[in-house]
Amino acid sequence: MAVKIEARQLQAVYKAHGQPPVVALDGLDLQVHANEFLAIVGPSGCGKSTLLYLIAGFLQVTAGALLLNDRLIVGPQRDCGIVFQHFALFPWKTVKGNILYGLEERRLPRAERERIAQSYIAQMKLTGFEQSYPHQLSGGMQQRVALARTLALDPDVLLMDEPFAALDAQTRRLMQEELLETWSARRKTVLFVTHDVREAVYLADRVVVMTARPGRVKAVIETRRAMGTRDRELFETAELSAQANVIWQLVREEVQW
Amino acid sequence: MVRLRRTLSNSYSVLLLFLVWEGISRAGLVHPFLLPAPTAICLKLVHLLVHGDLGQHLIVSLWRTGLSFIVAVAIAVPLGLAMAHIRLVRWFCEPIIAVGFPTPKIVFLQILILWFGFQDLPKIVMAAVEGIFPIVSATYLGALGVDRYLLWSARSMGTAGSRLLWKVTLPATLPQIMSGVQIALPICFIVIFVTEMLMGGGGLGDAMMLAQRFADSEGVFVGIVMVSALGYAAMRGVACLRHALLRWHPETQEWHA
Amino acid sequence: MVSRMLPLLILAALWEGLTRGGLLRPEALPPLDRVVLRWLAFVVQGDLWPHLGASLWRQAAGFLLSVVVGTGLGIGMARFPSLQSFCEPLLALTYPIPKQALIPVFMIWLGIGHASKIAVIFMGCLIPIVISAFHGARGVDPYLIWSATNLGTSRRRLWWRLIVPAALPDILSGIRIALSLSFILLVTSEILAARAGLGYLSFFLGESGAYEEMFAVVLTVILLGYAADRAYHRLMHRLLVWHRM
Repeated sequence: MAVKIEARQLQAVYKAHGQPPVVALDGLDLQVHANEFLAIVGPSGCGKSTLLYLIAGFLQVTAGALLLNDRLIVGPQRDCGIVFQHFALFPWKTVKGNILYGLEERRLPRAERERIAQSYIAQMKLTGFEQSYPHQLSGGMQQRVALARTLALDPDVLLMDEPFAALDAQTRRLMQEELLETWSARRKTVLFVTHDVREAVYLADRVVVMTARPGRVKAVIETRRAMGTRDRELFETAELSAQANVIWQLVREEVQW
Repeated sequence: MVRLRRTLSNSYSVLLLFLVWEGISRAGLVHPFLLPAPTAICLKLVHLLVHGDLGQHLIVSLWRTGLSFIVAVAIAVPLGLAMAHIRLVRWFCEPIIAVGFPTPKIVFLQILILWFGFQDLPKIVMAAVEGIFPIVSATYLGALGVDRYLLWSARSMGTAGSRLLWKVTLPATLPQIMSGVQIALPICFIVIFVTEMLMGGGGLGDAMMLAQRFADSEGVFVGIVMVSALGYAAMRGVACLRHALLRWHPETQEWHA
Repeated sequence: MVSRMLPLLILAALWEGLTRGGLLRPEALPPLDRVVLRWLAFVVQGDLWPHLGASLWRQAAGFLLSVVVGTGLGIGMARFPSLQSFCEPLLALTYPIPKQALIPVFMIWLGIGHASKIAVIFMGCLIPIVISAFHGARGVDPYLIWSATNLGTSRRRLWWRLIVPAALPDILSGIRIALSLSFILLVTSEILAARAGLGYLSFFLGESGAYEEMFAVVLTVILLGYAADRAYHRLMHRLLVWHRM
């Protein structure tokens, strides 16, 4: 299988003014295959979000190599789309305005922008809310807008930083199902960071467990192969619980009180 | 030494300003009446403090400020609390405050002179009135926002009626009251200064206008320096008071963390 | 709206009642109806207009100039660190100076006409606008910046596509503060050193003993300040309809 993203002995150090440096990641090796759904779990502060931001190009690598399509990542680029936990929607733009934003930055012709935006509005079940502002929407809807905004640019890689953590449990379940539906239609490479082990097992092909800080890869579990196919009813099954438990034990070893 | 150098390099524009200013004045490029040299102003300041009656004017302004400030606090805090708890008071006062806030209240000075004569009273009343507004507003909003679970807890433990106000509402509102007070003190001071400028009768404002009338522009600049220094000292003083009074509040504790 | 204003109407009725009823000396507080009649006479006979015009012109010029310069400077300081390190100490130096104290200096430099008032208002309003624009631009949620970058915004476009709209609530709040400050500085400078304007007029009338007219002018100033604030408030609401107020 083709390798989409590769990390070799990756190191990332935070230097805050007047504070001792914090080593977020050290010696991290990872290969992300093309078109796979990869979940990343680990104790709080293990650097899972940091890894995502490095891939997105917002933060700089301090040592080691980080490659996307066999090229070093040096800054933000078009191939990765990112979705954040707190949605990061532009509050002064309507739902449609937000979705159109990236398309405007791409300088696509007007007709095409409209067409793409409309298609994603329909896909993410936002019809009727085009002219609403973010603060008028529920958390689940806001996250759908954020997803639509990112997917509209059709990135190769989708980076998701605990995207459902700010939602209530019911909305979270629904969003997970919707995400799988959307992903099944056009298999992009997805990196999904979460602290919810069950969610990781439900959604992903493989689950990466990270150590506590400084973070590196502790284990990689092939969940899909272990459980066969994936469908909605799977969420409550014994197989999933067993898998989740295995992974949770691994995470638990790393948790420091 | 390093800290001194860093402070100097941070404020190089101010140093530059004073150097250029001094240079222009020395070179005689500008008439000393229009723009006296900074060194001349400093000398004048010392001279007036030691030999002149600047000290007396200072004391006059300060006691007027102090009195008007105390009056403002004494009226505004109970009024704000009353507005939060008694609907009739709130109904009556709210539009008065809404109209009063954007009004340049100095326009009432003539009326106050008409009612209270030409001495201290109109100045003190004016300053007190101007100081009341921010304190009432802050106290009212703060008291409204007191966490009702605090009140319910106290009541379930036997606190009732007016004791509730004293034991729970007031301490809980103290941060906001202090914010209002912090805004009000410089306002009282500035208003006293302005009324002295407009009315005479002793004080820094009067001294400054006298200097202006006697074409003593160095004296005028001394006035500006004095009033700014005092205003700054007042702001810092209140900030320290706030810190002391609110030792228990997380906002103070965060400082030390 | 009327019910909100009811307390003020009650005060007005009280005013009228107490003065007509002889409980207060008419020299101290002229009856409200006489004040209103004087005000109408002012308007009709045209005595008010030159002063009102002078005041409005000064206020508008100083205020609008400070809005343009202040917003530009504040955002510029957030954008260019070199500009920030140059301006910040200068602003810190001028911040504690009450701008009313600068009125005599501006009088010396620019006389007692329009220019000195406009200069005072400009200087006074500049600082709150610069500070709020600067903090607004600096305080933009970094996740918004990351999102915009991720969606393809170049560094140059980032400023007016993202930072300025995101900072708008702060900028508009700062401008509102500056607006009320502009009226304070206007009236104060007109009382102190002017030959025209509402502040000058009220003081002149007071000195001449024409108290009914003086009260009429005071009411005009109150109305002006209130109307300006209300109008601005509505404008703010319009521009910030997307903001969770």
